[in-house]
Amino acid sequence: MSETAEKLKILICTGTGGLASGAADVVAAFEAEFDKHNVAGKIGSACDVNGTGCRGLCANDVLVDVCLPGQDAVTYDFVTADLVPQIVEEHILGNEPVAKKVAGKYYHEFLDKQERVVFSRCGTIDAESLDDFLDHKGFDGIKKAVTMTQDEVVDEVKKAGLRGRGGGGFPTGMKWGFAKGSPGDHKYLICNADEGDPGAFMDRSILEGDPYGLIEGMMIAAYAIGCKFAYVYVRAEYPLAIKRLQMAIDTCYEKGFLGENCLGLDFKLDMRIKAGAGAFVCGEETALMASIEGHRGMSRPRPPFPAVRGLWGKPTNINNVETYANVSYIFYNGAEWYSSIGTENTKGTKIFALTGKVKHTGLVEVPAGITMREVIYDVCGGILNNRKFKAVQAGGPSGGCLPSEAIDAEVDYDSLIKAGAMMGSGGLVVMDETTCMVDIARFFLNFTRVESCGKCIPCRIGLKIMLEILERITSGQGQEGDIEMLQDMAYDIKKSSLCGLGQTAPNPVLSTIRYFRDEYETHIKEKECPSHSCKELLHFRVIEDKCKKCGLCPRVCPVDAIEWEKGQVARIDLDKCTKCTSCYDACRFMAIE
Amino acid sequence: MVNLTIDGKQITTSKTSTIYEAAKENGIYIPVLCYAKKLLPYGACRVCLVEVEQMKGRLIPSCTTPVTEGMVITTMTDEIRKVRKTVLEFLLVNHVVDCPVCDKGGECDLQDLSYDYEVVTNRFEGEKFDLPKDEVNPLIERNMNRCVLCGKCVRVCDEVVGYGSYSFINRGFETKIATAFDRGLDCEFCGQCVSMCPVGAILPRPFKFKARPWQLKEVDSVCGYCGNGCTVTLGVKDNQVETIRFNDETGVNDGNLCIRGRFGYSYINSDQRLTKPLIRKNGELKEASWDDALKAAAKGLKEAGDQVGILSGARLSNEELFLMKNVAKALGTENLDHSGGESYKGVTEGLFETLGVKASSATFPQVENANAILAIRSDFYETHPVFGMVINQAIRRNDAKLSVIADKFGKLSKLPNARTLIHKPGMELNLLNALCHTLIDEGLAKTEGVDGLDDLKAGLKDYSAETVAAAVGGDAEKIKETARDLAKAENAAIVLAYGLPYTAYSKEIATAAANLALLTGIAGREGSGLYLCGEKANSQGAIDLGILPGNNGLGAQQMLAAAGEGELKALYLVGEDPLASYPDKALVETALEKTFLIVQDIFLSASAEKADVVFPAGSFAEKDGTFTNAERRIQRLRAGIKSPGEAKTDYEILQLMLKEFDAAAPATPAEAFTALAAETAGYKDVSIDKIGAHGFVWGGETLQPAKKQLVAVSGADAPEGDYQLLVGSALYHSGTVSVHAKGPMAVVSEPYIELGRDDAAALNIEDGDKIKLKAANGEIQAKAKVDRRLPKGVFFTPYHFAELQLNSIYTGQAAIAVQPAKV
Repeated sequence: MSETAEKLKILICTGTGGLASGAADVVAAFEAEFDKHNVAGKIGSACDVNGTGCRGLCANDVLVDVCLPGQDAVTYDFVTADLVPQIVEEHILGNEPVAKKVAGKYYHEFLDKQERVVFSRCGTIDAESLDDFLDHKGFDGIKKAVTMTQDEVVDEVKKAGLRGRGGGGFPTGMKWGFAKGSPGDHKYLICNADEGDPGAFMDRSILEGDPYGLIEGMMIAAYAIGCKFAYVYVRAEYPLAIKRLQMAIDTCYEKGFLGENCLGLDFKLDMRIKAGAGAFVCGEETALMASIEGHRGMSRPRPPFPAVRGLWGKPTNINNVETYANVSYIFYNGAEWYSSIGTENTKGTKIFALTGKVKHTGLVEVPAGITMREVIYDVCGGILNNRKFKAVQAGGPSGGCLPSEAIDAEVDYDSLIKAGAMMGSGGLVVMDETTCMVDIARFFLNFTRVESCGKCIPCRIGLKIMLEILERITSGQGQEGDIEMLQDMAYDIKKSSLCGLGQTAPNPVLSTIRYFRDEYETHIKEKECPSHSCKELLHFRVIEDKCKKCGLCPRVCPVDAIEWEKGQVARIDLDKCTKCTSCYDACRFMAIE
Repeated sequence: MVNLTIDGKQITTSKTSTIYEAAKENGIYIPVLCYAKKLLPYGACRVCLVEVEQMKGRLIPSCTTPVTEGMVITTMTDEIRKVRKTVLEFLLVNHVVDCPVCDKGGECDLQDLSYDYEVVTNRFEGEKFDLPKDEVNPLIERNMNRCVLCGKCVRVCDEVVGYGSYSFINRGFETKIATAFDRGLDCEFCGQCVSMCPVGAILPRPFKFKARPWQLKEVDSVCGYCGNGCTVTLGVKDNQVETIRFNDETGVNDGNLCIRGRFGYSYINSDQRLTKPLIRKNGELKEASWDDALKAAAKGLKEAGDQVGILSGARLSNEELFLMKNVAKALGTENLDHSGGESYKGVTEGLFETLGVKASSATFPQVENANAILAIRSDFYETHPVFGMVINQAIRRNDAKLSVIADKFGKLSKLPNARTLIHKPGMELNLLNALCHTLIDEGLAKTEGVDGLDDLKAGLKDYSAETVAAAVGGDAEKIKETARDLAKAENAAIVLAYGLPYTAYSKEIATAAANLALLTGIAGREGSGLYLCGEKANSQGAIDLGILPGNNGLGAQQMLAAAGEGELKALYLVGEDPLASYPDKALVETALEKTFLIVQDIFLSASAEKADVVFPAGSFAEKDGTFTNAERRIQRLRAGIKSPGEAKTDYEILQLMLKEFDAAAPATPAEAFTALAAETAGYKDVSIDKIGAHGFVWGGETLQPAKKQLVAVSGADAPEGDYQLLVGSALYHSGTVSVHAKGPMAVVSEPYIELGRDDAAALNIEDGDKIKLKAANGEIQAKAKVDRRLPKGVFFTPYHFAELQLNSIYTGQAAIAVQPAKV
């Protein structure tokens, strides 16, 4: 985030993560302190308190950059309102950073291997300020694009090698070419911001942190394809994203940047937000279009593809938020620059949302080609509590789990598919040795089963039956042949489902069977959960030689079911035990099975 | 055209085909569950999956995937068989599999597919559905425990019917089909969902436990109700019509029916049917032999000499009408008429004077491709629901722009983007004139080869859009937009229904509509049409055959008047109940009382009760012969059952009557058709064997006008008084026959007086209260129906129910001035 400032600037993360950690109070505290101490007068410069977009390291929110004129920015983490007077007094007025509160080395390591392109404005500029955006190359891309013909713009995107960031990885330039080539002068542009994968929040952060950047990317696409109307389909669960984007759209209309004559560049584009209604399946493009049309969000058969017959029967181009956000940068810096980042078949950077048992959860933007190991260990600091890494789930409920032997796979569309996962939209859920892989498969399948639109039979009924089998396995009722049955059903469901949801829903099951078949077998044959995670398979027994006699478990037990005396191994009274797993979770030595 | 290979077979097919359609055309079978010919591609059931060499990696749904050049398709491999079987196993996990008591058993797609794919055991297990059944209404039962969620009901109700009763609710496995708020079904009850359901989830309740499908004899005939001429396939068992079967292969209606066609058949089996001839003895009607009844009738007629009149309904077959004409000849009278005599004058006089023809100019299916449609009267959907569905499809599939000239809001005004030109009662004419005025005024009129333009211009000078809008209480801009839509449309249609409740200005409205058709170029243009649709099944046939007063004969109203004054001694009513349905009840009553009266009907109607001789006649289901529908389509009626008791078809009765007068009659309806074709304009080239599965349209798909003569007609004045009563048809009924049918009666069982909410509030009347309307010459009473259809000051009542005695105040006016009061 370092940028030598000209005037005093305080950058405070006001993304959803920041706000949840109290960023609004921090902003207010800074403003109050500045007033109180007449900081502006004393420093001799205006002092801006800027609410920025997401800074990535959400685990350590609230992140605050203090940029003193002529100096490098200093980043604080875990900032609370209480801390603000001290920062103002010691750092801003005293020019002595509060050393104890400055973000540690990990923060720089977190940034080191990242290449923040799409996020370059997130966290540095005021997300709600058009002027700030314009100061940071804003709308240079579209201004450059309109000097080119529509075909040249499409070719530039092709040359850049940008592929859809929504998960499928379809070449964006080619997609635009199809939509442009479709006959008719009434075409639609859609931005898919219905980010619904569990543990994915890349798109939200872009919308919250750089809404104008998205608008610019869409303008370029609209110009290239010849669309005069654009929709941004944002899930209603992103109120801040909707608010900021709406504000940005309104400002653009006020300034004449959108509407009849965009930026005075002689093309027309109207833009509207459509808030989703809470259905995961509406992230699927045909269901999304049905939803915009006011129908129930249900997938439609393809072909005809949206480029031919999309929204309201008209040719439609639909891309994901991150894809459009990338487009602006292609036009700022040129296709050659863009294609110099990444691997042969995957160009540019990719944003990942890391959650789960990893030290530094948050958002990272890395160049394609970096390995999964680097992302988890180098960028995000490895596994929480220094436990053993077990697997990473990539690609959300449509993706797969990669075990430790596969995490040297490169972040690249093709490598990840080969490894049994997929790039997906970019959610990475990291799991350690306490995570049961059968249970994880069950978790994801439960998600897709509930979110299935119910239209096609394999997805509607097949997933439910698969889930029932998994539930049976995790509760110790598994039968010989269940694994084969799951594999067989998964194959049929993938082959026969109507849309991407059903076609990929069995992936978590298949990939966990592929890499962790032994866990399934232990559940079925020995009725044991090797990770001690499946509740119904827990014994609630203290393993005597692992017990360090620390006495923690009897303290957390809510029903006094654990007998312990100092220096003695604890013992669980199963008659009293309610199997709440408090003791299991509390034990640091994995001494309860 | 596109070339492709399916299962090694080289195929050339239209580029708009799907793989499934291309295969079907070429006799290659691919199973389907959610596909339906008339619905948009959907792709939910995954039973029709095939392999396409160019789209490797997944299986391709054949019913939604368009063909492309060079495609190589395999419709069956081990993998396909396995995946299809898995899908079926999935379906059968929770399905209740209660085939032994399911009415669909024997023609259930799920049952057949399970059999084909030998789903003997199921690898999967799960709980059976236990959802509540919807048995709230007496016509359609919904049992969601059998549903496979193919969505056909949802789609047909939206795409074809335009009602939208159903939707999917919930997500994932819990998804099900439901109505709004998951309540009992309450809709038009057209039963399109019943006909589309591939399993036993939506069934016709009247058919429950009546017969197994394979026990039914299927007889293709034509619906006896309205002029739409829908094919109805009778499902017959033990000389009873037990149900109407789905048939989208025959006729003009693509398998679509309305409540009357699908559920209105039960009057055929009614125990109220007349089964024996009756003769009045000592003031009472007594059962008699055919011989005695015929003799009595002939005696009465002979005594009357040429002072006789014949009044016919328009639900007799062409052959029967032909025989009736011969009866009139044998009696030596030209006093012959049908359907009240006035209502059809739009066709016989209005169209004839302007276009030189007496029929609609085009066929119904053409309307599907229309770009602009003008419906005159919102009641058009009520009188001709299935044609209304074609209009809906034109709007949904073809973005057709519908405008409705309406005195009240109705189904048509609710269709997508419909423009309603609302007007004060009885002022349709003024709006039509304004449309013509706009066309001329804006230079949009197509006047080449059209005569009478100057006279028309002069006649229309007071009918500018603004003047008319002010007079009728409408919007001038809407009038202009409508005129422009009609003028610029490549294909356009003007539709208008006529019938007993629409007698006012019938000639003038048709003339004005014809003017509009001429100025827009609709008349005679391929793909466009002016449709005048008769209320009854053979209204057009009656006009074609000339069941009209001769040059020296009396028309219906004149006959009744003459009879009342003693100038007509005998009346012969064939399939007509004027006492219940004709305007001016007092006139009819006197006429019937003063004459020697023969009534030929299937029920002891109000008129029959006054008769001296009653002949028990046959319903349409008992007849062989032909009907000509409102688009000039001659279609064959086939007898499904024998008439009950001693009842005879009208054909047989008229044959016997002719015999009484020593006149010859063709032995069979087929012979009669040959004879009538020879002497009926337009029928000359038609022979019975030319009438195929889709009938025979006389005059061709587009009937060329014999002339193009504009005729100026004056508009009507705004009605006086605060309250006006409109008379018309209700969707659930047709004429007076449907009141004997359980289906329609289950939905609308009694007369009602409809009014808007504002009026209801002002009069302190709530839905279901009794309301009284006092008119100049009497009053009527009925239950109030309060809704949002009617503008302020306007009431509506349907004319089907004799007990309302509507014709005591209705004399054929466009609107009846009334004084309302709560009873």
